[in-house]
Amino acid sequence: MAETAISHGHDVGHGAHSSTGLSNNKLGMWMFLGSECLLFGGLISTYMLYKGRVNVGPQPDQIFDIPFTSVSSFILLMSSLTMVLAVSSAQRKDERNMNLWLVVTALLGATFVGGQVYEFTSFYREGLGFTTSLFGSSFYTLTGFHGVHVSVGIIMLMALVGMNRNKRIPGDRAEVVELIGLYWHFVDIVWIIIFTLVYLIPS
Amino acid sequence: MKKMIDQFGESMKTARRWRNASKAAIAVSALSFVASCGRDAPQDTWQPAGPNAERIDNLQRPVFYVAGVVGVIVFAAVAWSMYRYRDRGQAIPEQTHGKPAVEIVLTVIPVLILLGVAIPTASTIFKLAETSDTEMTINVTGQQWWWEYDYPAVGSNIEQYGITAPIVTAGQLVIPENTKVLLRVTSRDVIHSYWIPKLNGKKDSVPGRVHLLRMEGSKPGIYAGQCTEFCGLSHAYMRMEAVVLSRADYDKWVANQLEEYTVPEIGTDAAAGESVFIQQCSRCHQVNGLKNSDGSLNIAAPEQNLVSGAAPNLTNLMTRNTFAGASWDLLTPECRDNVWNASSADFGERYLAGVSTECLNQKDLREWLRNAPAKKPMYADPTKLASTGGLYRGMPDLGLTEDQINVIVAYLLERK
Amino acid sequence: MTIIDRPSTDVAIAGGAPAGVKPSEALGVFKRPAASTSWRDWVVTVDHKKLGIMYGVTAFFFFIVGGVEALLIRLQLISPDGKVLNADQYNQMFTMHATTMVFLFVMPMAAAFANYFVPLQIGARDVAFPRLNAFGFWCFLFGGLFLNSSWFLGGGADGGWFMYAPNSSTLFSPSHGIDFWTLGLQITGIASLTGAINLIVTVLNMRAPGMKMMRMPIFTWMVLVTQFLLLFAIPVITVALFLLTFQRSFDATFFDVASGADPLLWQHLFWIFGHPEVYIMILPSFGIISEVLPVFSKKPLFGYPIVAMSGAAIGFVGWGVWAHHMFASGLGPVSVTVFSMATMAIAVPTGVKIVNWVMTMWGGKLSFTVPMLFAIALVVQFTIGGLSGVTHAVAPSDTQQTDTYYIVAHFHYVLFGGAVFGLFSGFYYWWPKMFRRQLNDALGKWNFWLMLIGMNLTFGPMHILGLQGQPRRMGVWTEGRAGEGFFNFGFWNRVASIGSFVLGIGVLMFLVNVLYTHKSKKVAISPLDPWDARTLEWMTHNPPQEHNFDTIPTVGHLDEFFHRKYETDSLTHSVKQVHSAEEVMAELNAHPDEHIHMPSRSYWPILLAMSLPVIGYGLIYNRMLMAVGVSLVLLTMFGWSMEPSTSPDDDFDPPAPGEGGGHTKELSPLG
Repeated sequence: MAETAISHGHDVGHGAHSSTGLSNNKLGMWMFLGSECLLFGGLISTYMLYKGRVNVGPQPDQIFDIPFTSVSSFILLMSSLTMVLAVSSAQRKDERNMNLWLVVTALLGATFVGGQVYEFTSFYREGLGFTTSLFGSSFYTLTGFHGVHVSVGIIMLMALVGMNRNKRIPGDRAEVVELIGLYWHFVDIVWIIIFTLVYLIPS
Repeated sequence: MKKMIDQFGESMKTARRWRNASKAAIAVSALSFVASCGRDAPQDTWQPAGPNAERIDNLQRPVFYVAGVVGVIVFAAVAWSMYRYRDRGQAIPEQTHGKPAVEIVLTVIPVLILLGVAIPTASTIFKLAETSDTEMTINVTGQQWWWEYDYPAVGSNIEQYGITAPIVTAGQLVIPENTKVLLRVTSRDVIHSYWIPKLNGKKDSVPGRVHLLRMEGSKPGIYAGQCTEFCGLSHAYMRMEAVVLSRADYDKWVANQLEEYTVPEIGTDAAAGESVFIQQCSRCHQVNGLKNSDGSLNIAAPEQNLVSGAAPNLTNLMTRNTFAGASWDLLTPECRDNVWNASSADFGERYLAGVSTECLNQKDLREWLRNAPAKKPMYADPTKLASTGGLYRGMPDLGLTEDQINVIVAYLLERK
Repeated sequence: MTIIDRPSTDVAIAGGAPAGVKPSEALGVFKRPAASTSWRDWVVTVDHKKLGIMYGVTAFFFFIVGGVEALLIRLQLISPDGKVLNADQYNQMFTMHATTMVFLFVMPMAAAFANYFVPLQIGARDVAFPRLNAFGFWCFLFGGLFLNSSWFLGGGADGGWFMYAPNSSTLFSPSHGIDFWTLGLQITGIASLTGAINLIVTVLNMRAPGMKMMRMPIFTWMVLVTQFLLLFAIPVITVALFLLTFQRSFDATFFDVASGADPLLWQHLFWIFGHPEVYIMILPSFGIISEVLPVFSKKPLFGYPIVAMSGAAIGFVGWGVWAHHMFASGLGPVSVTVFSMATMAIAVPTGVKIVNWVMTMWGGKLSFTVPMLFAIALVVQFTIGGLSGVTHAVAPSDTQQTDTYYIVAHFHYVLFGGAVFGLFSGFYYWWPKMFRRQLNDALGKWNFWLMLIGMNLTFGPMHILGLQGQPRRMGVWTEGRAGEGFFNFGFWNRVASIGSFVLGIGVLMFLVNVLYTHKSKKVAISPLDPWDARTLEWMTHNPPQEHNFDTIPTVGHLDEFFHRKYETDSLTHSVKQVHSAEEVMAELNAHPDEHIHMPSRSYWPILLAMSLPVIGYGLIYNRMLMAVGVSLVLLTMFGWSMEPSTSPDDDFDPPAPGEGGGHTKELSPLG
């Protein structure tokens, strides 16, 4: 895609020529993640402003189940590790292991999202709805946005595995895996921040 | 190029030239200066009538002059280069990419100018925020689309000014001359902004927050203002007036506000008006001391009818000169001029006279009573209140008959 | 407007039929669209130049829409107690006027120039992500149409473009106008974000050999700064818009004061976006006139590094001044002081730019062409706007001025006198590059003078009106507050209203000029280098072929093109022309590049963008429709990711007949 437009005849080699040395795709992904920082920044600020504002319904410390969320956070953290293994397999052109680690990463991610769904339903049963209080609205919005990001990552991982089976990954396979890896790590790091600010630091 | 550096250098060095330059600049900035001399401009931001506005004025005038000087220099440089360096067949100029010395000088100059502006700005900000020497406190509450004034019976309000019971009014803020009044500004629905240009800058009234705004008038008179934060449909009709009274007149005003309710004489139009008022108006509008036919006190319940939960208190309506968010005068134009154009000495007496039968602006008041939402845009169509759960935003059309309007006007004329 | 000549390839000769597409490339639902010269090609194009023109045409359409809204506003205010519009219509009118002008005219018009000229100025063949670029344009178009469809579906948004909470909640604004507003801006926000990523990567990564950052044309520099501002500002407004949508559509409590919400949250989020937004609008125009002034002064830009760096400084400090929109909002004196000082600080790099423009003209050889006139007018009018800006950086004085017509005057001098004049300067300057013809000079001067006079008649009196205390956003003004004498509201409101029509006629003259230039047989084809320009985009054909340059030049200087045409005597510093533009081009193209490989057309960008408003309508009217929209988005995204970004058939060598080359290895699903 990108490189095609800058192939100057004499150096057609893909991705070889770029002014920064990074490929367009990778640079683009970094820019996108930079923008995402501000998105989560805005959501986290909203939550921090509103976390203590509960007129009706439960307070944060009444419903948070720290051990449970710690486990699911640990699972998400582990998925970053398996993602690293997937990227390194892709770079070694070790297709079998790459597929394996991608699937494991997606499964760990899915476990995390499942945990989040469970957590949401149990909070809801304990009286914290989306419209109950400012805490409820901002909590579900922040963690929901993060959950959607993880889910999008899972879809990308599974699509990658599927496309790889049919030999249909367009472009440089190792780079595509690396790009999705960047995204995945970013989403993990955001969770570490959310987990610390939302769950661990008491309101 | 060299010429320009010299010019700048010289004008920096030679005080005489500098004075000439500022003379020219003052001539140009005269436009904005003359703007401040418009006769009888009720909301002129350049005619302070109290120490807070004066403080702002003392800061902004020099800033405007400096801005004018800078502007003239830039325009002159543009005009000169357009004239001097127009294409007259001269050779292609040297391809100079800039001269660091010139650039540094021309960066340092604006930095110095801005530093000169910044220091007095900072000190003025803090002076205007000073509230520790407050002599009187008034709660000001904005709602769609009028202002309520609540003079609480607390502290110095009681001790110094005899406000022994809370006074609640609307439309006109009444304050004593040369008194440091602190407004505690808030809102009951959306964000509004309180602004009496001749007394002080504006301050937003935000629901859930109380903002402090100092008001002080140094001369008796009426000072106009307008809500300046967009607040929905009828934003243009949310006005206010601040009335400054001499201390003696202020005491009379307070005493009058605290007077007992006067029951209309039996058999008069006003008495008939009272019962229509109880049926039609007192659901929302409070008149202190008004009694129902069974002798119980009539208490308005605007929170059951209005989104903001408040309607103007009409106990002493005819002591103020305006109604409907200060959008219309209660006085005929002649009577209004009589008050507005009064000298400082006469003002208090004329203002305290209130609205007499002869002076009443019958036209606008009757139009208002006939169909309020037709006169001022409001969300008062009973069929379109789904989003508010049936609550009005503003006064609905009450479908009053002409007879009812006659007696209500008669009743209201006694509310002073 | 099929003005661009595509180099004819075998596929094009086949008459637009997708016959040349091998089934193996059509991995998605659709066969790959092939090249053609019909209107269809505009739908599937990924060419940055065509997209630039489409951005421009669409933005100009919205400029006229926003202009008509402005004229209605001025008609309403021409006399006291105006009856042209009722209160509700007036509130919609000023909300949509601002929204349209900011989001649907100035921003995308700057995007039009950026799309067309940034790749040309840095010697690239296209942008980094061509399909993403097309997607961005379609998001802008459909987002804008979606937003404006509210006019026909119960009325536009009525909360002001700043949409302060809680006035924007359903309780206070029960119509769907604000829903259209939030969702429409989300969609155009996607356009801005993808455009930002695309242009940043293009500028950072795809410069021609030798084109160091400090050799880039200043327009490209300003676009780069702008895109970084967008990259970080758009997500903030995205969050704010999401919160508002959740509040209005799903009863979230973010701005519900009864639940304890703080309405200032919206103000902070909005202005953290909103102030960088101001620089997003003005910096591209600064870039344009920083190209135009040197060309028509026959001198390089004075202090190029300082102008570039001050642009970056504005972009940086611009993040620390948002609360100067909130001096009356009830921030404490400490915050007010900090933001007041920061706002004054940003005046310094801005002032530096003005100084450098004046110094560029100083000592030059000035020719007063239409683009030059617009550029000089920008310098003067922006100075006025900048100086009035300093008067309200002084926070206490701002508490008298904010939300009055003085502010309206200020930002129209900055945005109309600044941004819009810069864009018009760009129209006249680059028209021959884009369309092979120079716009008529006489009509152009009418255009310029009418706009200049109209603009000053319209917005000049607003300084007086504001200082006299006329507040903004009011459907009526009253005699009771108008004052008497020469400076009363009545006279100056009338002047402003009349001025707005002069301004309208001035803008109309531009359209007349375009029609005349392209319809009249008398207008000759422009020479290759009509202005004796200095930068790379002029070193190729008018208009450039799809691949921009037959040979990518190697850059050795700032103002490379000028350096190839002129020589400076090292002793006398005198400058003389040694080559004509044609000679420079002939020399450059003596050995054209081979195997130029251009990105291929695609249906997916427009299809994906079209699915987004479906979600919008669904959210407002019917949740089933929303589900349909979401499915469409997922399907088109899947189709997109399965499509290689180039098909081998689009490979060609410019002078020689095409050779099939299989450079599809470097494809990825992203672009």
